[in-house]
Amino acid sequence: MRLNLIGLLFGAMFGGLLAGARLHEYDTIHAMLSLDEPDVFLLMGSAIAVSAPVLWWLERQGFTTPFGGGFSLSRSRPQAHHIKGGALFGIGWAIAGTCPAPALVMVSSGAMLGLVAIPGIFLGLYLRERQMQAGQHVGDGEHREVRPTGAPRIDRVST
Amino acid sequence: MFDVLPDRVPWYVVGPGLGLLIIGLFVLANQPLGASGAYVQTAGLLRRRSGVAVWRVWYFVGMFAGGLLVTQVLRSSQGVRSGYDALVDVFPLAVVIPMVFAGATLLGYGAAMAGGCTSGHGLCGTAQRSPASAAVTATFMATGIATTFLLSVLTGGDL
Repeated sequence: MRLNLIGLLFGAMFGGLLAGARLHEYDTIHAMLSLDEPDVFLLMGSAIAVSAPVLWWLERQGFTTPFGGGFSLSRSRPQAHHIKGGALFGIGWAIAGTCPAPALVMVSSGAMLGLVAIPGIFLGLYLRERQMQAGQHVGDGEHREVRPTGAPRIDRVST
Repeated sequence: MFDVLPDRVPWYVVGPGLGLLIIGLFVLANQPLGASGAYVQTAGLLRRRSGVAVWRVWYFVGMFAGGLLVTQVLRSSQGVRSGYDALVDVFPLAVVIPMVFAGATLLGYGAAMAGGCTSGHGLCGTAQRSPASAAVTATFMATGIATTFLLSVLTGGDL
């Protein structure tokens, strides 16, 4: 129950920040990928620069999260499906000028092409799921839950 | 409505803000701040699948709601920007709509294959120092930039 509230709040803050930076607009993504302005690269880089050291430190502390069990980070080795999937994602990203979270914000901003992008994303996810063999757990689009090919997990070096 | 936000909140505010959200969601619930997983869970709920992470559906709704708050309440909602001005200038809407749909399908398929998107791999995965996420991120950045330049060439520099 409280997890649902956390989900709603974090989703809202996430969507709000994306909207603030106008990441839901084709023009912003296009300016980034045509290397006209460095803003989005700097935005992503600073998000990682802020979070990575804290996550590293928290992992070393080994504490228990209030709603998600023991704190653990997930790391895996790059495999062929990562590279192929990433390559297709990048091509689609450049053509559509949006990605999953900004597409939702596109609709909230009143840009009706978001209603074209969102069904497309659902269709793409569904096509991949259908392609995977029946009964096999399909990666649900989130890094930590995905081990469709039995990707070996890099064990953490105990410190 | 209130028009209290700048036209575009700068990257050095939004980037570190996203970093804090990444830390917050890991600390509270041990979960990544991704987006494509929320699509998968939402699709699962609509298809009445079992084992749906309902909180991710709330998170999906939250992204939309947060975008609504920023674009319609905190920012002047007059004169909605389609965000697709550059694309609509070059192609008629009859081309733009299938183009956005095809791009979105491709990126959805790629995200499912790679096990994450710009947020799940690009931000959260790299912040966790996952080699697979770094590989996915480098790949989609490369193909995204290459596709954008290819589109520019194909349209004679119009795009």
